[in-house]
Amino acid sequence: MNRLLSLFADDPDMTELVRGFVARMPARIEEMRAAAADPNGEELLRRLAHQLKGSAGGYGFPTITDAAGKVEDALKRGQREEALTDLDVLLGLCRQASAPAASSDG
Amino acid sequence: MADLEAHMDKTDAQSILVIDDSADIHHLIDARLKSEGVPIHHAHDAYSGLQAMREFRPDLVLLDIDMPGRDGLALCREIKDDPTLSSIVIIFLTGNLDVETKVKAFDSGATDYVTKPFDAVELRARVRSGLRTKRYLDMLASQSQIDGLTGLWNRSRFDAVLEEEHALWLRGGRSFALAMLDIDHFKLLNDTYGHPFGDEVLRRVADTIKVGLRQSETAFRYGGEEFGVVFRGLDLDSAVRAAERLRLSIAGLPLAMGSKSVSMTASLGVASVDLPGVSGVNDLVACADKALYDAKRAGRNRVGRSAGR
Repeated sequence: MNRLLSLFADDPDMTELVRGFVARMPARIEEMRAAAADPNGEELLRRLAHQLKGSAGGYGFPTITDAAGKVEDALKRGQREEALTDLDVLLGLCRQASAPAASSDG
Repeated sequence: MADLEAHMDKTDAQSILVIDDSADIHHLIDARLKSEGVPIHHAHDAYSGLQAMREFRPDLVLLDIDMPGRDGLALCREIKDDPTLSSIVIIFLTGNLDVETKVKAFDSGATDYVTKPFDAVELRARVRSGLRTKRYLDMLASQSQIDGLTGLWNRSRFDAVLEEEHALWLRGGRSFALAMLDIDHFKLLNDTYGHPFGDEVLRRVADTIKVGLRQSETAFRYGGEEFGVVFRGLDLDSAVRAAERLRLSIAGLPLAMGSKSVSMTASLGVASVDLPGVSGVNDLVACADKALYDAKRAGRNRVGRSAGR
């Protein structure tokens, strides 16, 4: 699987933070999948996408921000099918997100 | 000018509050603003944000526009309508805004906005600029609340401080007392020796009050030849003793017009917030005023003690 490395991989101030963000990713992916599967989960899905749009870029993942923005945008326009297609792209990117290895590993 | 310096010290130690429903944003802002050395408080919705504002008195709030429940725009309007919070600088955290929302944001009272995901350098620059603005606002506010002649806080500050102390007391905080002080026969001094002498008397009395102040006490020029002193944490007995010391130090002031020595005294009235019938700031001031009036009628150069209303 392709790895998506944070733009801040070399920034020592950000290393721990990016690791935390990546570590929370599986839970976040699961939350979005569950919201998408729930007929009443649209508002939650929009909110999760909105939050991810606002934060991912700050952790060095601008492509995730863009993809999350597309999901939010499609939901706002009421285009559920389109949103679910965009969500697949978003979840794919989320799975690829990776943090720099801990220095003790190397 | 101990009061003013204390006030300036407070503005030196500025703090920030972040209100955003996304934990990731809180982590990021902490990391990105760490280098600024400004304490950062956190809240995750409008309601706890308001509570944190009342508790921590931040100088600047980074406020998410799009939150579940009450959104940032509504909260910003509420902050700006609350006189105890309205001087806080608001910077919105937001996605890309259309022009209409930008206008709404500024109309609601915001100073600036930062678009998410934010650039760390830009965030720091905007926060620094917001804190600088707040510092100027604080300086202007404190200057407009200082009496030019005596350097004491003025009447408008008096009202504000009493309201703050009273609100604190209602929430279970410390008790406090108020002394009103009036220079005896001031009009006669003014008419006999002239206004410049009268001004000198006011300055000397103000200086004497200032010298005796403790950290927990604040003095005001209430108006004309009347002064007020707020004693935080004192009950009526202790405040009466403090007022008595004040009376003695004023009566002992060496004043002279040319080679002629002039005697001058002051009368005081003391009331405390826990007296019967005191249910607000107006009652407290009325009680202290009444005690002052009684002291005047009983012969001046003495301290009157209120028994409530």
